[in-house]
Amino acid sequence: MSRFTMDEVAWHPRIPPVAAEQATPAQLAALEACPPAQRRSTYFLTLANDPGSLGERGALFNSVMYAPRGLPRAERELATAVVSLVNGCIYCTSVHARRFAELTREPAAMQALLDEGIGTALPPRRRAIVDFAAKLTATPGAITGADLAPLRAAGLEDLEVLDLIHAIAMFANANRLMQSLGASVAP
Amino acid sequence: MDLVETLLGIAPGSPLAELRGQRAGIRQHTEGAWRELVLPAEPGGVSLAERAALALRVARLGGHDGLAAHIRTLPVPAEALAAAEDPVRAEGRLGLLLRYADLVAEAPERCGQAEIDALGAAGLSPQDIVAVTQLIAFIPFQIRLLAGLRALQEEAAA
Repeated sequence: MSRFTMDEVAWHPRIPPVAAEQATPAQLAALEACPPAQRRSTYFLTLANDPGSLGERGALFNSVMYAPRGLPRAERELATAVVSLVNGCIYCTSVHARRFAELTREPAAMQALLDEGIGTALPPRRRAIVDFAAKLTATPGAITGADLAPLRAAGLEDLEVLDLIHAIAMFANANRLMQSLGASVAP
Repeated sequence: MDLVETLLGIAPGSPLAELRGQRAGIRQHTEGAWRELVLPAEPGGVSLAERAALALRVARLGGHDGLAAHIRTLPVPAEALAAAEDPVRAEGRLGLLLRYADLVAEAPERCGQAEIDALGAAGLSPQDIVAVTQLIAFIPFQIRLLAGLRALQEEAAA
């Protein structure tokens, strides 16, 4: 049994989150730049302690995950779930595994990835995305142009590759924030 | 040119510059977050010297020589940057911050309440703790972004 799950995982902050009703104008403005569904989450209210960094970073995160066209949303979720798996972030893995399952209606495929790890059997395009995500996460210094060949063979165009790089890089950041500022609490 | 373009030598009008232009918001906020975290106009409770030292430490840990070299050119006191080269010997608050950077960058799953409380005991407010954690966690983003874009450059040159 893997420690990773698609079920709702709680996150307990190690510093007090901002109380939404007591937020300063700067904190409220920074929260406005974050994904609408998550503006009042404990995680974002914790980050709101420093509105400057939340504003720019929140806007960056939003663009990476939701910018139109390019890499399909489900594949951004696949990549970020895999990065989170490799980094051992149980909370982030659960969120993005769940979104992948919702968008694709393929919960069994994601469950296999969570249970068996990134070596699980995958169709070629997903195989290429998962392998690139794992390598760029674990050994960024070892990535070369040749590592893009499997993505190209699977049909990814320039903008899709760029979106994939952005999504993978974003979760080097998101996982570290989540793991250090708080604790994942499994169901 | 932004920091990414400078470090990778991405020329204006080049295919990679045009491609990044299709994600103008990401390009803008990548630079904005870097400036907000490392070069803020109002550094608040975390000094510009501490910020540069943390960024340098994580860039070195991540093995990104180009980014580390750029950070060494920032206008901050040399002692802070020297401490980032050898945090085991760094003392006081800066030593504590640098060891926290090592933890968040290399083994964030091992961070616990005690490590966060130690920052508070050294006088960091919740805002300061978020600021330093955001900064430390931003450098691994940059390193993977730079590595991925460099792969695109290599692919185009092949």
